[in-house]
Amino acid sequence: MIFKQFRYEPLNQASYLVGCPKAKEAFIIDPIEGLGADFYVLEAADLGLAITGVFETHVHADYVSCARELAEMNGCPHYLHENAPTTYPYTSFKDGDVFTVGQVDMTCLFTPGHTPEHTSYLITDKSRSDEPWAVLTGDCLFVGDVGRPDLLVGDQALDVMDEGERAQTQFTTIRDILFALPEHVEVYPNHYGGSLCGGVNMSGKNSSTIYYENKYNLAMQKADAAEFAEFVRDTAKPLPDDYEKIKSYNLGLLEKEELKGAGV
Amino acid sequence: MTPAEVRAAQQEGAAVLDLRTPHPFAAEHLEGALSVQFNRADLVDRVELVFPEDLPMIMHGEPEAIGKVAAKLLSDAGFNVLGHLEGGLKAWKEEGLPVVQLPTLDVDELKDRMGEFTVVDARDPFEFKYGHVPGSGILSWTEAWYEADKAEDDPPIAVICGDEIRSVLVASILVRKGKKAELVTGGMVDWVERDYPIEKGMG
Repeated sequence: MIFKQFRYEPLNQASYLVGCPKAKEAFIIDPIEGLGADFYVLEAADLGLAITGVFETHVHADYVSCARELAEMNGCPHYLHENAPTTYPYTSFKDGDVFTVGQVDMTCLFTPGHTPEHTSYLITDKSRSDEPWAVLTGDCLFVGDVGRPDLLVGDQALDVMDEGERAQTQFTTIRDILFALPEHVEVYPNHYGGSLCGGVNMSGKNSSTIYYENKYNLAMQKADAAEFAEFVRDTAKPLPDDYEKIKSYNLGLLEKEELKGAGV
Repeated sequence: MTPAEVRAAQQEGAAVLDLRTPHPFAAEHLEGALSVQFNRADLVDRVELVFPEDLPMIMHGEPEAIGKVAAKLLSDAGFNVLGHLEGGLKAWKEEGLPVVQLPTLDVDELKDRMGEFTVVDARDPFEFKYGHVPGSGILSWTEAWYEADKAEDDPPIAVICGDEIRSVLVASILVRKGKKAELVTGGMVDWVERDYPIEKGMG
């Protein structure tokens, strides 16, 4: 397996390449416009890999995505969970679907809370073992913190819950789905450090493990979903600048020119 | 360069360097193209080892960004780069210009059909010496451009290397020089993994 994390420091954002040296193919997860589609094309080519799939954990509200452009450039699918309320077409998947790149399996774990379509990706390198090795947790679980539940724009039709209910969903999702994974599994989030997608306890460290977060993630030490929701609200950072605009662009409701540089 | 401009330059002797990975190249490429897998770290060094500096070259990358970057890297290094193919394979085919395949076989097929091929190893001599397919000869990737004319292609040549990157390069050079050649996918890595016989020494 070839596994690479790309860090875009201005927004404390992490995107990923998961590939197989034998198949010479790779998936890109959560690509960001700040780095740009050409960046991922050249990084993959440097590793001798062709991009055959572009995935997103969810429709982002704090940064401009380049997933559509990257998929189009490579003539490959742009994958999102079937709940994603975009105005443009994408290739949808369901909870439990498995995508394979050479000897690597990527299993979709539906992890709603931050958004109604949020999905984490469980990575298994079958050239080493049938046990999963890592999970890309998007904006569900961060290192030291959790994704905030109050950045929804434009997808109210699907989301019947209020902010508090979404926070409670986030709690049960993390407890019942992510913390049910083997404890050795490494955690790779979509954000770290100062990112505004989580709270004040987000670590600058760019990876963790299920064991460590289960034991030391402050929000997840709360006794129940209600206490968790209150803690998340109390420790939230300010809302990201222009998040409504950014989310609207990522949903396909705005053209790129209308962004006027927001979220890049 | 437009597909028509690329084709015209090819007919004047220019070489198209196909920068993609080996499998897409084998599946479909511009007639006459040479497979030189891209990366920014050592593309220039590899091209320098394989081709004469005055060879007029055209880049073909997918997506196009790769072709542009390669053209810049190589012209900055002094190579005679004419440009890159705009619109890629899609535009080329829309113009009705010729595409061809490079036949492939895996190591199991090679083992079963040994007598039907002239097996040629594209690696460096020290690797060949350490262990190669019994009965194979060496046409090292750095010599291939200059020595390919002398290669015997009856029976057709099956080209192997460690993986596939140098074998596909050598196979594409052989085809360009009018020889019958096929690519062994999986290379020596798969051959050794299956515990197939190995011959040591320079053969």
